[in-house]
Amino acid sequence: MATSLARSLAASAARSVRRTRLSTSTAAQVRHSSFARVEEKPLETVDDWTNFQLKRAEYQTLIDTFSEYGSTQTRNNTFQPHHSLHRPVAPSDITLSALIASGAHFGHSQKRMNPNFVPYAYGVRAGITIIDLDHTLPLLRRAAQVVRGVAAGGGSVVFVGTRSDLRPAVRLAAERMGKQGYHVGERWLPGTLTNRVQMFGPEVAGDEQVIPDLVVFLNPIPNIHAVRECALEHVPTIGIVDSNVDPRVVMYPIPANDESTRTAELIAGLLSVAGREGVAIYQEEQAKAAARAAKRPPRY
Amino acid sequence: MNVARHVAWRSALRSRAYATAAYVPPASLEGLQRARAPPPKPKPESPTFYTGRANYYDQLLALETATKHTRTALQELQLLPLPKFARENLPPLRPVWKNKVDLAELMDANLTTSRYRRFLSQLNQLNEYRRLAEIAGHVQLAERIQHVLDVFERDNKEAILARGKRKPVKFDEFGRSYTIGRRKESTARVWVIAAQPSPEDEPVASSSVSSEAAASSAPVSSTPAMGISGFTQGPLSLAPAPVKVPTTNILVNNIPLAEYFPHVSDRERIVRPFRVAGLIGAFNVFALVRGGGSTGQSGAVCLGIAKALAAHVPDSEPLLRKAKLLKRDPRMVERKKTGRAKARKAYTWVKR
Repeated sequence: MATSLARSLAASAARSVRRTRLSTSTAAQVRHSSFARVEEKPLETVDDWTNFQLKRAEYQTLIDTFSEYGSTQTRNNTFQPHHSLHRPVAPSDITLSALIASGAHFGHSQKRMNPNFVPYAYGVRAGITIIDLDHTLPLLRRAAQVVRGVAAGGGSVVFVGTRSDLRPAVRLAAERMGKQGYHVGERWLPGTLTNRVQMFGPEVAGDEQVIPDLVVFLNPIPNIHAVRECALEHVPTIGIVDSNVDPRVVMYPIPANDESTRTAELIAGLLSVAGREGVAIYQEEQAKAAARAAKRPPRY
Repeated sequence: MNVARHVAWRSALRSRAYATAAYVPPASLEGLQRARAPPPKPKPESPTFYTGRANYYDQLLALETATKHTRTALQELQLLPLPKFARENLPPLRPVWKNKVDLAELMDANLTTSRYRRFLSQLNQLNEYRRLAEIAGHVQLAERIQHVLDVFERDNKEAILARGKRKPVKFDEFGRSYTIGRRKESTARVWVIAAQPSPEDEPVASSSVSSEAAASSAPVSSTPAMGISGFTQGPLSLAPAPVKVPTTNILVNNIPLAEYFPHVSDRERIVRPFRVAGLIGAFNVFALVRGGGSTGQSGAVCLGIAKALAAHVPDSEPLLRKAKLLKRDPRMVERKKTGRAKARKAYTWVKR
């Protein structure tokens, strides 16, 4: 509704612009028009507000018409900060340059390097550990395979990212996986898996499958208790490990920068795309099994 | 000893399970009926199940989605981002959201203060967008947002918003107003009705043009337009006729005013609202007053009459307000205090 109204608004504005353009030259029009600035008088009636909106729409239309001339770069074909959230990379399309662009190779300070992380470190520069992305890339693709496999088997995947900037990433990742995706954007309550009967009640803990089949940690260190709970309940884990962390805390480590939002969004998006493929495979299998069961003659 | 250990080791080797197990060809395992795996348990419904607070986060995320969509719509309508001069004109927001307990019951979730406040901040954000859509004339969009917000508003929202506002004086089917006035310890209940013009007055108005003779032959109640009654000759017969003022009554506790209040000051106090508004003889008053003494009772009736006049004749309200007749006099008898003879009077000071 609102979009159609906006479109009619823009259309009427465009029509008015085009009418005037025919009479005078465009340059003169731009010089003399008051499109560029909306008068700063108080808006009292509904008509005032409508005129205010129309003026702005006119200005926008003017910009849009002139955008056709000049640079070919538009909002759609250039990088925008929200693309890492809303345009995830497929596991087959991930490149080293994409990882570097997101800042995945920055580790923590050399003093904090964990000795077990050394195989994944490229070196040290200016006191900062540089993570070897030649190791990260295959490990990332392996993690994607795990997610796809778990989802294809009908398993549930939980995305855990407990920082405010990671919240939208885990939410969208879970949404991509449909019914098999879950997310924890706020604090992981201790005892979610190990004390599930008290947390969820005996009915829910008994009737539903509370233990997930895979957990993905975008920031494992603040959620180390959650990682430990998963280990106690034999739940496979994937996690972004930084240079100050022992990679063996999770089952499938992804050595990368855990402080960068873009890296986390890239990895969460990639894993969720793999998960979406797995969900599709599972649904196909289910549909085929249902068709086979329908075709099979009934037993007596 | 070495030999004994060697023999024991050889016997242990022979007793290992894989060495002594019977050989089973794989082909014979093909049609084997294994125990059926238990049916898989259903997975949790909500995507926020593992937060432990699924109901709360589902609601919060739904609200955030609604806010995001509204923001997009308003951006397309060129209403966002709103410049400062436009923001200054917006009417004030007066939301009345459910309290923590009611909201927790509605969402079927345990709410702490921090979670409640976070939810409220989301509601307030959406309410601001609704105000913007409403004031710009996009009624449908504003209604849809209001539909979402209605769920979280308190049931008695109108009552709460009307608090502090003066309730309008109601008139019954006969056109009477009912008001209450108070002064000191007295309370007065006042009914005021506009005086109806009597049917005798109308023939007078129509026959004012006719001859004096016809007017003088008319019944005693009618008066000619010219001349004061009783003067047929002389200058006073040419004076303009006095305006016929209908006789109205003021009854206090079913007793006429003059009888109930023997003091002139009390009577004057009661009639003062009519004088100030210029409406003497326009209304009839019936008052029931209780408590206090003559000053209190007359002041209470005066306030009741002033409120009634403001309701009957709204144009008189500024006049009455300027004359401070619509203000309830807050002065009450001050209590006596310990250590003093009366409220303020102190005992005689003694040096020693």
